[in-house]
Amino acid sequence: MNESNDEKIERLLKDALSGLPLRRAPDALQRRVLDEVAQRAALPWWRRNFGQWPMAARSAFVAVCVVLAGLSLTSGLTQQFGAETLVWAKPVVGLMASIGGVATLAVSLVPPLFIYVALVVGALLYALLFGLGAFAYRTLYLPHSNTAVVRQ
Amino acid sequence: MRSYQDMVYTTAARLTGNDAQAQDIAQEVFVRAYEHFAALAGSATAGGWLKTVATNLAINHLNRYRKRWRMFSEMRVAGEESEEIEWEVPDTLLADFSAEQRGAIVEQALRGLPEHQRVPLVLYHFEDLSYQEIAARLGTSLAKVKTDIRRARAALLPALQAGAARDTLES
Repeated sequence: MNESNDEKIERLLKDALSGLPLRRAPDALQRRVLDEVAQRAALPWWRRNFGQWPMAARSAFVAVCVVLAGLSLTSGLTQQFGAETLVWAKPVVGLMASIGGVATLAVSLVPPLFIYVALVVGALLYALLFGLGAFAYRTLYLPHSNTAVVRQ
Repeated sequence: MRSYQDMVYTTAARLTGNDAQAQDIAQEVFVRAYEHFAALAGSATAGGWLKTVATNLAINHLNRYRKRWRMFSEMRVAGEESEEIEWEVPDTLLADFSAEQRGAIVEQALRGLPEHQRVPLVLYHFEDLSYQEIAARLGTSLAKVKTDIRRARAALLPALQAGAARDTLES
């Protein structure tokens, strides 16, 4: 397609699409909006967006997050530099070490062959789902998205 | 709300090409407007705000589903893209139809376009965005936007002609 035809089509469409009337919104839209507003207003504060939480709740949430982040950081430091420097963090370090020990024990109890088989089965299932997705895309979606191209 | 509901609904419907999704998006737009009522009430920019939010929500909605299919959409065999058909470019288009008739024909033709062509076309022709702005909004390359719009126009033209012929036959 040459440039002049592109421009001609663009001009034709601009003329055809200009000044089109708006589509009429469904009559039920206003009722739906009012119902949704009422429903959201009835929600308890902790089920709303974080921005709509009361200031005290937001501050408390942020404070708790900071404390948890601080504990995680300090427990890591303690493990690295020794518990003597941060004695007050000992319970947290103990808890994290216990969790890590249980995880390590669980992994050591599983035979390596089982892990390899699980990995292979997982990869096969992934490939199967990928293939099914591609098949569905090609048979259900793609036929509706093919387009014609104007040539002059 | 009554003053703007047709504009918001039309914006969402043209972008999504789906009435049910357009209703959901329009509803969300006005719920958000209600949350910002203090700032919007009586404001001269309320219409622009509503249109922008409607456009953004529609694009976000489409992106959410497009990402799920992107991996498969890129698995196309060479030559599979689209067959090229020769069409004669007319001198005028829908010139003999009223605005209402043109509207109905255009809306139906837009629905027939695939999403990756309809969305940039609507943003360019109805929302008056530039190619660069569309590329930025859709997070895609400028070249792809230009190609998609060119193909969308090329696909829309015969669809409009067919719609016009069908409308003429029915009346």
